[in-house]
Amino acid sequence: MNLDAIFQLASTIALAGWVLLLVSPIAPTFADRISGLLIPALLAVAYAGLVLAFWSRADGGFDNLPNVMRLFTRPEIALAGWIHYLAFDLFVGSWEVRTAHAERIPFLIVLPCLFLTFLFGPAGYLAFTGVRSARAMTLLARTPSLQS
Amino acid sequence: MTADVFGARQHSRHFSFGAEVFAREAFYAGAALCLAALIAPTVVAMALDARTLAGVNVWLKPLRFEVGLAVYLATLAWFAGWLPPGITTTRWYRIYSASVVSAVAAEMIWIGGAASLGIASHFNESSPILAWTYRLMGGLAVLLTSSALVYGILILRNRNSRLDPAFRLSVGLGLVLTFVLTVAVAGYMASSGGHFVGGSSTNAPGAPLMDWARDRGDLRVAHFFATHAMHFIPAFGFLTAVSLPAPAAYRAVIGFSVVFTGFVGYSFGDALMGHPFFAVSP
Repeated sequence: MNLDAIFQLASTIALAGWVLLLVSPIAPTFADRISGLLIPALLAVAYAGLVLAFWSRADGGFDNLPNVMRLFTRPEIALAGWIHYLAFDLFVGSWEVRTAHAERIPFLIVLPCLFLTFLFGPAGYLAFTGVRSARAMTLLARTPSLQS
Repeated sequence: MTADVFGARQHSRHFSFGAEVFAREAFYAGAALCLAALIAPTVVAMALDARTLAGVNVWLKPLRFEVGLAVYLATLAWFAGWLPPGITTTRWYRIYSASVVSAVAAEMIWIGGAASLGIASHFNESSPILAWTYRLMGGLAVLLTSSALVYGILILRNRNSRLDPAFRLSVGLGLVLTFVLTVAVAGYMASSGGHFVGGSSTNAPGAPLMDWARDRGDLRVAHFFATHAMHFIPAFGFLTAVSLPAPAAYRAVIGFSVVFTGFVGYSFGDALMGHPFFAVSP
């Protein structure tokens, strides 16, 4: 299996996970098991396999920016890095849906956070954390015991 | 069937092998599960990595050790149900089992690390560090195998066991023989500097999966059977315990253990003479 095929396969599987999150209100438990558990685990297997096979032959390291950039000059490591994004972004997206469900945050508010997470992972996480904090503060302010 | 060879909790209506094995020895069962989880990324690495060592893919060896050690720990976790009650909660047992699992982890890191670097793990004398690591790992291998000995002795001495006597004997003997025979065979292998016996320039492919040489002697064959005494002998014990009267079953287990030990000795001696276990087909 060549690297391009792995790239296509991983991206397609991750995309399927995101589509499932979009329709998760229909089947929350099923969507969470697939998008939050199975697909990230599959991507993690691919990632771990790539790192096992190619890490020792990669130049560079984690210690400074030029070294990190040198790591990604190897296609296998760049592919591993991309799968890392796919896996963790989807995992965070699933966590947002799950947390929103548990805390009764309306799905319509979660949707823009999901899109942000899909495109720019940490920015989506930041947006969701903001929404979550705002809601928590609102609920706190409405608690009768604090209005004395 | 009077023989309690299954030893499962009788009140459990929905019997689950996984739940039972974790109830018996959660630490070994958990370690076995972690080793099994390593199989998937190792297979991926094997599919992607073209490097070879001694004619086979560098990841074949980590894969075999993951499977072998997972089977070993899962079997011990199952057999833990027949240890004297309460022993797995004692302080010495916890320290001991933690050191066994640590030794397993160290072996896997060493073998997987060597594969990722594309170098040999066992028999690697190319640098002082690698040579000393190999010796250290030999010691840790004895430590992890000693769990079979400890279990075997404890199960043989556990006279209050509900277990059928012939089956209990087969489990205990199998475990003790796993330790004794493995240390004997592997110890010789380590001291002789390699597992192939007899020079051969032909590069015949090894037997499927096991990769045993088919054109010369291979000491790993004896190592395999030695280490699996804890499976072959209890399997025989199970069959006799359910099919023969008690005294006959007991004698049959002793007889089979002797024959099995002889078979390991034969496969060892045969390899020493340079004969392949599975010869190249004409």
